[in-house]
Amino acid sequence: MSLDYLWQGFGVALLPSNLLIGFIGCFLGTMIGALPAIGPINGIALLLPIAYTSGLPAESTLILLAGIYYGAEYGGRISSILINVPGDAGAVMTAIDGYPMARKGEATKALAISGISSFIGGMLAVLAITFLAPLFGLLAIKFGPAEYFVLMVFAFATLGSMVGHEPVKTLIGCVLGLMLTTIGIDATSGAYRFTFEQPELYDGIEFIILVIGLFSISEVLLMLEHQMKGTLKPLAVSGKYPTLADIRYIWWPSIRATVIGFVVGVLPGTGASVASAVSYTTEKRLNDREGTFGKGDIRGLAAPEAANNAAATGAFVPMLTLGVPGSGTTAVMLGALMLYNIQPGPQLFTEQPKLVGGLIASMYIGNILLLILNLPLVQVFARMLLLPNWILIPGITALSILGVYSAYSSVMSVLLMFGIGVGGYVLRKLGFDMAPIILGFVLGRVMEVNLRNALAISGGEISILFSSALSIILWIMAAAIVILPWLIRRMQVRRAAAVA
Amino acid sequence: MSAPSHLQQRSGRVAAAILILFALIYGYFGATVEYSFSSDPIGPRGFPVALAIALALFGAFYLIRPGEAEAWPERDGRNAALFFLGLAVLCVIGMDHIGFIPAMAILMVGIARLFGATWLLALVSGVAQALLWWALFGPVLGGNLPKGPLGF
Repeated sequence: MSLDYLWQGFGVALLPSNLLIGFIGCFLGTMIGALPAIGPINGIALLLPIAYTSGLPAESTLILLAGIYYGAEYGGRISSILINVPGDAGAVMTAIDGYPMARKGEATKALAISGISSFIGGMLAVLAITFLAPLFGLLAIKFGPAEYFVLMVFAFATLGSMVGHEPVKTLIGCVLGLMLTTIGIDATSGAYRFTFEQPELYDGIEFIILVIGLFSISEVLLMLEHQMKGTLKPLAVSGKYPTLADIRYIWWPSIRATVIGFVVGVLPGTGASVASAVSYTTEKRLNDREGTFGKGDIRGLAAPEAANNAAATGAFVPMLTLGVPGSGTTAVMLGALMLYNIQPGPQLFTEQPKLVGGLIASMYIGNILLLILNLPLVQVFARMLLLPNWILIPGITALSILGVYSAYSSVMSVLLMFGIGVGGYVLRKLGFDMAPIILGFVLGRVMEVNLRNALAISGGEISILFSSALSIILWIMAAAIVILPWLIRRMQVRRAAAVA
Repeated sequence: MSAPSHLQQRSGRVAAAILILFALIYGYFGATVEYSFSSDPIGPRGFPVALAIALALFGAFYLIRPGEAEAWPERDGRNAALFFLGLAVLCVIGMDHIGFIPAMAILMVGIARLFGATWLLALVSGVAQALLWWALFGPVLGGNLPKGPLGF
């Protein structure tokens, strides 16, 4: 196996412009992670149009967006520790032992320990990706239109079975996303579909409008309901830095959490929040002999932080190897690549080695930057928590409007964004997740085109979808992923019934 | 988690009914797409029709088991959201007429007020943000923002 792609990638990531972009991404990511009001996916949605319209090349845009994503996992811990409110979903478990430490006057130590374990988790996970990515690249040549189509089915199956406790809502979300891709001129036949003679619709719904509407505008609408007035009061960043003995103490918990986090992150549909919860409970079960967990045990702090960073990195594996998104955030990133005419699919690695290598190399650099940023500058980021909503929310709204306007120079597009935002708000209130819609939207065109190409090759014979070994394996995996969790749940219920 | 209330179940059912209705309308338009030639056996109609059937089917499941939904906001929250949307739409349409900076400043001040800023703070931060975003997306990033009669 050759790691040439990685060296080539370092050539890309070490360009001064990309170093700067990576730094900006990590810095903004930490900030966005620290703010309870906005999560990484919002940050990515808001910055994507800026990157795209300012003419950045694809690999630079990806380095920026990825930096925001894994940077946010560093930042999320700050508000968990200082105000007991997680900055994003992956940092919920961090508060359990982090906040008690800050109350004892050990905030500096808590922030440093979580920064170091975040670094361990992030760095080891990038190392794992480095060796995994080329392996999957070998598969890419075996993919014809039929296999492609089945791969997309597989991607939906994983999401449907993993996300939430109401799979029907996930499935409806996927279908709605797919439906949105059918608007516009059909590439194969040139037919006008759902355009209703409106020239604005000929090219279909633009990805940037959809993402900003679904995530940012609906988020603002949700926040308006609660109207959090005033500011939060973070605890002071005080106390000593951790000692070498402390770091040795968290070493193994962090390593275990990294493995758990990475595996959970690779699985489609789950993410940092599941990873940190699983690793925290594992550590508590293994090591909580004196009952110190939950009262400020540094191992209980290190484990979820290492895990959520490893998971955020692991989530790139399905994207970089098979070219299908494993999470909402990576779906947005793949959508961003489509703006550059890069199609999702397993050829991503073979056809875009510069892009994939550049991204992976930038993650090594980014994690080092984040460690440096997060140890001495944590005070600066902690000050972000003092930013009141009456400054923040107007800013998010302005960025949303400007992002869409600067990409399409059209007032209609901005109004469409608000319309989509209202739709997203209603769906979120009804318990729908936005990620399946984005996934459907990103994969829709590829799915339809490949299905039709496959059937054109076979002359309409459906059996082509089951004809190769690879497609049969993918069908079996898709079926297993849907059926197994359901089967396990049933077995657990039966066992519980037998015990009772 | 508490059992879903009657009202919450009802909003799920209403949503399911709307989704099914939408599936029918979408399916109808999908099945009547006009085209003269397609190089594949499915053509441009097949995929939309399949999606419409899938949505109608999932919608039916959703109708039978509406699951959990959050309660809709009280009057204050609803008014705030409507005010936000109304103001945003007006300001976005108004950008072309009164210029980007004034329109954005009005919107920024309005949202700041919604989130509890005093008039003074809202005015100062709103105008400052309008100028900042104009500077960033105009001169710095080289975008073309709408100009009003005063030239900005």
